[in-house]
Amino acid sequence: MTPEPPTEAGPGAPIPPRRVRVTAPIAQARRAPGRPVVGEVAELSEVGQVYVRSLIRSQLLLAVVVAVGFLLILLAFPLLIAYVPGLDQAEFLGVPFSWLALGVGVYPIILLSAWLHVRAAARNEARYLALVDGA
Amino acid sequence: MNAWAGYAALIGLFTVTAGIGFYGLRISRTTEDFYVASRTVRPWWNASAIGGEYLSAASYLGVAGLILISGSDALWFPIGYTAGYLMLLLFVAAPLRRSGAYTIPDFTEARLESVAARRVTSALVVMVGWFYIVPQLHGAALTMSIATGLPSWVGSVAVAVVVCVTVVTGGMRSITFVQAFQFWLKFTAIALPIVLILIIMGNSGLSVAAVAEPFASAPATSPVADAYRDISLVVALLFGTLGLPHVLVRFYTNPDGPSARRTTLIVIGLLSVFYLFPTVYGVLGRAFTPDIATGGTPDALVLLLPGRLLPGPAGDVLTALVIAGAFAAFLSTTSGLVVSIAGVISQDVLGGRVLGFRVAAVFSTLVPLGVALLTDSMQLAGSVGLVFAFTASTICPLLLLGIWWRGLTDAGAIAGMLAGAALCGGAIVAGRVLGPLAGPGQELLAQPAAWTVPAAFAVMVGVSLLTRGRRPGGITKIMTRLHAPERQLPAPTR
Repeated sequence: MTPEPPTEAGPGAPIPPRRVRVTAPIAQARRAPGRPVVGEVAELSEVGQVYVRSLIRSQLLLAVVVAVGFLLILLAFPLLIAYVPGLDQAEFLGVPFSWLALGVGVYPIILLSAWLHVRAAARNEARYLALVDGA
Repeated sequence: MNAWAGYAALIGLFTVTAGIGFYGLRISRTTEDFYVASRTVRPWWNASAIGGEYLSAASYLGVAGLILISGSDALWFPIGYTAGYLMLLLFVAAPLRRSGAYTIPDFTEARLESVAARRVTSALVVMVGWFYIVPQLHGAALTMSIATGLPSWVGSVAVAVVVCVTVVTGGMRSITFVQAFQFWLKFTAIALPIVLILIIMGNSGLSVAAVAEPFASAPATSPVADAYRDISLVVALLFGTLGLPHVLVRFYTNPDGPSARRTTLIVIGLLSVFYLFPTVYGVLGRAFTPDIATGGTPDALVLLLPGRLLPGPAGDVLTALVIAGAFAAFLSTTSGLVVSIAGVISQDVLGGRVLGFRVAAVFSTLVPLGVALLTDSMQLAGSVGLVFAFTASTICPLLLLGIWWRGLTDAGAIAGMLAGAALCGGAIVAGRVLGPLAGPGQELLAQPAAWTVPAAFAVMVGVSLLTRGRRPGGITKIMTRLHAPERQLPAPTR
């Protein structure tokens, strides 16, 4: 990010705080705010790394399971339309099934997958924090 | 169409956008505000802003136009555009936020501890951004000529100039307000006309008669080729969204990993509702105005339909609204891209000064403008789809392997990105040059993601395994930082 362009303080405004240059290259960036040193040191210990690795594994497994499940459902739509006789001709309020399925029906499934993932990922993280901070 | 509707729409949009940009600039005037903004932007605002930047000419005009031409096959485009955010949520959102990187090159440098890998990523990000801007300018050219009757190049130049001026003066830069406003403007502009038309249809019927069966399916040419094309397209859109440079920047304004996930969830909801409307435009267009497709400008369907179905002043007002929404799409996406490209160029080449950023912003608007003026417009949705294929073959493997696999090395990342770029770029160029001459390979070249994405992954993994010695020394710390959750601390008092 580039620095904010200078803006003029209006008359009667309090003394403007000193400008600080905001730089982007991560090499110069500071540690993330809100992460206490104690926790970070514990995470980098040998025992801590066991927990971190298991967290990464469970998050990856979760993401892959949701992704594969979603893609299988997505793949099922054209297969159903192609191989279930009569489904292509089926209509609801004058709209054929294939249009309803692809034009409307897929979106709730995307949202549901996303919602399930957000919940499960937060649960994995809560379990990890309980382990590390309790250890 | 009445030219005054077009002019009124453009003037109104520019005034309101400038006004909100100015108001937002006044709110965030101190450095303090600037920092705190990253913590006070609520997921709803942030999600609207992401939607505002993401919904481009391809979504606003292209999807409806493609449905008009090719029917239910085109429904895969909005599905891919939306499900791309599911993939982003599953694999990228929270870890990328925790990495603290503001741009993709920043992430590369932090993860691989390699300046060379950073440079390659930067070059690819700039290329992706430029290729993505070109269809926006084509859309602007089309809309301008329909809206006002002026020559079409005026539209491209107008968007380029407005974006250039606002980015260079800083009036619209990174301000969540403006982008969020653009989303809701686009949403209203596309939804209101179609809702009114549907209500009128339901009550009294339109004065225009349906002339065709909207759901007729195109005769299948070859089932295998069709299936390949759809699958390859979905691969491109699903995995291309992960690496779009202007989308990633927005995630930085989330305070932590969990809120990055919540924001993505809301984005998916917003997009799911938005894409219903271009679909309805496409269906109504197939029923009432199939001549727009044969007239050669199917992408103009969204702009023309309200006026065709509701003649008179009501139609003019709705047309002005739709035109304003279209220009909001071109402006927001283009300025988001120009900001990210200029940021990368100014940091990597010009030393990261304000002047460098401004020079880079002008430069990164002029290059795609030149390309847009020299090339003919393709199908908007199709050409944006190719940009997604390119991103999916280059930046997506870098992000996925970088976040989830300790074994990725700088050599592997560089080799994989270059291989993906060469294969995907080569296929697209060869497909355009050879055309029907490519015979059975034509589909493979026209929609390459299904084989170039796995190839890029394979090269990246293979070369990384061969260069195990080059794994970064701080990998343990980096992976911990990417994945370990933030602790809930009491907010620091100021």
